[in-house]
Amino acid sequence: MNELDEFERELQQALERRPAPPGLKRRILERRAARRTRPVWLGFPHAAMWMRVAATLLIVAILGGVGMEWRAKKTEERRRGEAARQQVLTALRITGHALDKVQTRLAEHDRDSGE
Amino acid sequence: MAHDWQQDFERLVDEHQSMIYSLALRMTGDRGLAEEIAQDVFLELDKNLGKIESAEHACWWLRRVTMSRATDALRRRRVRGMDLWVALEDEHGAPAEENTAGVSAALGARLEYLMTTLPEAQRSALILRYQEDMMPEEIAAMLEAPLATVKSNLQRGLKLLRAKATSQLREFIRGVKTDA
Repeated sequence: MNELDEFERELQQALERRPAPPGLKRRILERRAARRTRPVWLGFPHAAMWMRVAATLLIVAILGGVGMEWRAKKTEERRRGEAARQQVLTALRITGHALDKVQTRLAEHDRDSGE
Repeated sequence: MAHDWQQDFERLVDEHQSMIYSLALRMTGDRGLAEEIAQDVFLELDKNLGKIESAEHACWWLRRVTMSRATDALRRRRVRGMDLWVALEDEHGAPAEENTAGVSAALGARLEYLMTTLPEAQRSALILRYQEDMMPEEIAAMLEAPLATVKSNLQRGLKLLRAKATSQLREFIRGVKTDA
């Protein structure tokens, strides 16, 4: 491997290092400076991970709140529905009772007329 | 005691930007991606300056991280061979005219293009061997690959490159002789 043949030497010359693009160093130093002026908490280890955890918790809390509100709304609707049903049943019972009375009176009236 | 490389960051960028950029460019074939990798590698170095023990260690660390980043980027983007050629030829400012010692610009550029058509493992071994002049043992340590694998990649890559070059370069040299 130490002795290079002609082809390898040509390859070595073809693979000479290329100059870096103009301004690369400046851009690196700018990004470095920008990173150093970020808020202190962003520089903490695993800051990104903690931000993700916090965001997840926030979303869970929001979804939980929305879910609880939806459930409370459904319970209230069910309660109102049940009350309305009870009212209807009561009304039907009263009506049935009234009809029974009318029917009894009619029957008495018919009997009196027959006698 | 570890040297305080914090003060020397700019000097490290000056010294190694060409190496990092060339490694990334030849691995990915994409000028923009190569510059992005170079920037990321130096910013990573900035974060790890405390772990750097010497100038040689800095150079080794930079090469290793660059190859790793370039390999990751390649796997993500799946750049195709033809795109590499376009990127190397059209987008990069200074092609092989700056090559010296007897290899013509076009010949060097053609070899460089043929490199981009090699399998990734062979390409990375050849780049480290012939651009960075590293020995197979050093390449194996850097790529964390068995020495036998690296030697095999070098031999196979060289053989494949030679075979690809033979047909194309023969025609090119014939053309040059005719012109002369």
